[in-house]
Amino acid sequence: MEMFENLADAPSDVIAAWVFTAIAGILVVIWVLKKRKLPVIWEFMRTSNHRKIGTMYILFGFIFFLRAGIDSLFIRMQLISPNNDFWVFQADKYNEVFTTHGTMMIFFAAMPMLLGLMNIAMPLQIGARDLAFPYLNAVGFWLFLSGAIVFNIAFFLNSAPAIGWTGYTPLSSSLFTPDANTDFYVFGVQISGLGTLFTALNLMVTVVRHRAPGMTFMRMPLFSWATLVTSFMILLAFTVLAIGLYLLMFDRLFDTKFFQGPDGDPVFWQHLFWIFGHPEVYILAIPAFGIFSDVISTFASKRIFGYASMVISIILIAFLSFTVWAHHMLVVGLGPMLNTFFAFTTMTIAVPTGIKIFNWLFTIRGGLIRFTTPMLFALGFIPSFVMGGVTGVMLSVSAADFQFHDSHFLVAHFHYVILASTILGIFSAIYYYYPKMTGLKLNETLGKWHFWLFLIGFHVTFFPMHITGLNGMPRRTFTYDAGEGFTATNFISTIGAFLMGISILFLFWNLVKTHWENEKVGPDPWDGRTLEWTVDSPSPEDTFEPMPVVDDLNPLAKAKNENRAMKTTEEHRSKPIARDSIKPFLISMTLGVFGICMTYQWYIAAFIVGAVVFGFFVLRALTDEKNDYYGKDEGGAS
Amino acid sequence: MNTYEQELFRDKQLGFFIYLGVEAVMFLTLFTTYLIYTPSSEGPAPADIFSITTLVLSSVFLLSSSGTIMISEKGLETKNHKKIITWLFVTFVFALVFLGFEITEFVGFVNDGYGVSASSFLSSYFALVGLHAAHVLFGCGWMLVLFIQLSGIKIPFPLFIEKFKIFTYYWHFVDIVWVFIILLVYVKYLV
Repeated sequence: MEMFENLADAPSDVIAAWVFTAIAGILVVIWVLKKRKLPVIWEFMRTSNHRKIGTMYILFGFIFFLRAGIDSLFIRMQLISPNNDFWVFQADKYNEVFTTHGTMMIFFAAMPMLLGLMNIAMPLQIGARDLAFPYLNAVGFWLFLSGAIVFNIAFFLNSAPAIGWTGYTPLSSSLFTPDANTDFYVFGVQISGLGTLFTALNLMVTVVRHRAPGMTFMRMPLFSWATLVTSFMILLAFTVLAIGLYLLMFDRLFDTKFFQGPDGDPVFWQHLFWIFGHPEVYILAIPAFGIFSDVISTFASKRIFGYASMVISIILIAFLSFTVWAHHMLVVGLGPMLNTFFAFTTMTIAVPTGIKIFNWLFTIRGGLIRFTTPMLFALGFIPSFVMGGVTGVMLSVSAADFQFHDSHFLVAHFHYVILASTILGIFSAIYYYYPKMTGLKLNETLGKWHFWLFLIGFHVTFFPMHITGLNGMPRRTFTYDAGEGFTATNFISTIGAFLMGISILFLFWNLVKTHWENEKVGPDPWDGRTLEWTVDSPSPEDTFEPMPVVDDLNPLAKAKNENRAMKTTEEHRSKPIARDSIKPFLISMTLGVFGICMTYQWYIAAFIVGAVVFGFFVLRALTDEKNDYYGKDEGGAS
Repeated sequence: MNTYEQELFRDKQLGFFIYLGVEAVMFLTLFTTYLIYTPSSEGPAPADIFSITTLVLSSVFLLSSSGTIMISEKGLETKNHKKIITWLFVTFVFALVFLGFEITEFVGFVNDGYGVSASSFLSSYFALVGLHAAHVLFGCGWMLVLFIQLSGIKIPFPLFIEKFKIFTYYWHFVDIVWVFIILLVYVKYLV
C-alpha cells in the first residue's frame, strides 16, 4: 500500500522510533496487566467528568511535549558546531524536525495542557459541578487526541511534514509538496482544532451559566476570567484557521485556485494563518497570566492588586491581538501605511501587558511570601517575560524588522514570550493543582531543582540566540560556516537546551517519588484563598455538596480570617447531566481514520468512514443521556 | 418544560448560539475569499454562468421553508403531533427541492468545464455555496432524526421541544446565510 511505501527507505531515526515505541508499548501493556489497570483505563475512556478529562488532556499534552522537546534537542545537536552532521538531521530531515517541533508544541502540547488545566480548575474555582456539556467535553478531548495521533503517524510512516508550523503556501501547495506529508499536517491540525473549538464553547457556557450563588463576574478568580476570554478568542481564531486549512485542502486535493494559479495568492494564506496565529499566541499566554495571578495572590497571601484593571487588561489584550496579525508579514510588501498601522497596534499591546506586570509586582509587595515551587515559577516568569516583551517591541518597529525578520533573534523572542508565559505557567499550575488532580502533593525539593535548572537552561539557550540572530543567522537553516561568527553562541544555546532537558528528568523523578510515597493531602494544601480549595483532593465527581455561597473575591480567605466555615445554600441551579459513554472516543477516532483516508485520497473509504461518523451522530441523538431526566413533572433529578 | 428542563435548555441554547457564531465567522471568511477572487482573470465571468431563474426558484423554496418550520414549531405549544409532522415534512420537501436546484446548477457548471479548478472565482464559489448546500443536506438528515424522535422511538416531549427549537435556530441561520449568498454571490455580479 502507498501508505507504507516510504518505509522501505526509512532513515535510522524512524526505525529507532519504531523500536522505542514497540518496547515502551510492551512495557506499558505489561504494567497495565500486572497492576490490573484495565478497568481504570476503560473508565477514563468512557468518562465525561471534567477532572478526569482535564487530567487526560494534561497527560497526553505532556507526552507530546516530551516528543517535541526531544525534537528540539535534535535541532540543538545539529546546530552545536559549524558544518555539523548530527545523525540524520540535515536538509529535509531538519525541515521535518523543526516543523514537528513547532506544530506539536503549539497544537498538541501547549494547547491541550492549558485546556486540561481549564477543565480541572475553572469549574472548581467558580462553583460549577461539571462543564455545561459533559458529553461534548469528552468529544472535544478525544478529537484533540485523534488529530494528534494522525499528525504523529506521519513520522512513523516516514512522511513527516516539512513545511514549518506556519504551513506557508506555495511550499505547502501540491506543486511543491505533492506527497502525503503536508496532508497529515492539514488533517491532523484540522481535527484537533475542531476539538479545541468544542471545548472552548463548552468552557464559555460553563463560565456564563454555571457559577455558584453569589459568584458575580467581578468575584471570579482571574484564571476563570482568563478561561472565558481565551475561549472567546479560540472561537474566533481557530475558526479562521479551520477555513484556511479547508481551502488549503481543496487546493491540494482538488486543484482549486486559492493559493495558486494566475489569480490565487499565496499571501492570502499568510493573512488567514496569522489572523489565527497571532491571537493564538495570546490564547497561549492569557491562561498563563490567569494562573500566575492566582498563584501569586495565594503565595503572597494577599488579594490580587488592581483586580478590575487585571480583568480589563486581559480583555484589551484579547481585543488588540486581533488587530496585529500583519506584523508577521512586515517584509511581505504590504506598503508603508499598513506596516505603520500594524507596528502601532503591536506596540499598544505592551500597555495592558505592562499593567498586568505592575499589578503582579504590587501584589507581591508587602505580602507574606512563601517561596513554593508554583510561586518560584511565577516569579521566574515575570522578568523572563518582560525580556520577551521588550524584544517584541523591537520587532514591531517595521523598519528594523527587515533586519530581524526570520533570524534567530525572532526565534529567541518568541521562545522568550511563549516559553516564559505558557510553559512556566503550565509547570506552575501542575505543581499548584497536582493535589486537585491526584490527591498528592509533588515534592518541593525536587520541584525547586526542576525550576532552577529549567529557568537557567532557558536563559542559557535563548539569550545567546538574540546575538546569533543579530549576527545574521537565519532561522530554519540546518548548518553554518565556522567563520560566520555563530559558533560560540550556538554552542552555548545547545548546552542550555540540555539543561532544560535534565530539568525534566527531575520532574519525572518527582512524579515517581510522589506516587511511590503516596501521601494523601487534604482539601487545602496551599492555604488557598478561593473555592477550589474547599473541595476534596482529588476533586470528587459530585463537587459542591452542599453548594457554597460566594461573598467575596477570596471567599475562602475571608471565611478563614473571620474564623468561620463557608456559608452554604440549598438554592442553586441543577448540575449538567452526564453519563459514561464510549461513543465520544469512537466518534473521534473514526474521524481520525477519515483524515487518514483523505490524506491518501482513498475517497471511497473516506466516504464510508464519513458515513459512519454521521451514523454516530444519529445514534447519539437517539440515545441522548437526557432521555432519563426529562418529562418528569416534579423536575427530575437535581 | 419545567424549570429544571428550562435551565438545561438555556445552557444548550447559549451553546448553540455560540456555535452559530462560529459558523458565522466561517462563512464570513469564505465570503471574503469569494469577494477577493471574483471576478478572475481566467475562466468565465459570474454573469456569464449564473442563471436568474435557478436563483429565484431555489430561493423561493429555501426561504419559505423558514416559514413552514415556524408553523411546525407552533404545533409544539399544543402538542399537536399532526401539525408538527406535516409542516416539518413540507420543510423537508422544500429543502430537497432546493438541493435539487443546487445540484443541477453545480452539475451544469461542471459539465460546461467550469469545475472547482477552472478559476479562483469558481474555486471560491464552490467552497462557499457548496458548504452552504452541505449545511442544507445536513439539515435534511437532522429533520429525519426529528421524525424518528417524535414518532419512532418517542423521546420525552420536553426533550423533543428542546431538540426541535435548536434545529429551528440552525435552519433560520442557514437561510440567513443564503440571503447573503443571494446578495453577495449572485446579485452583486448579475446587476
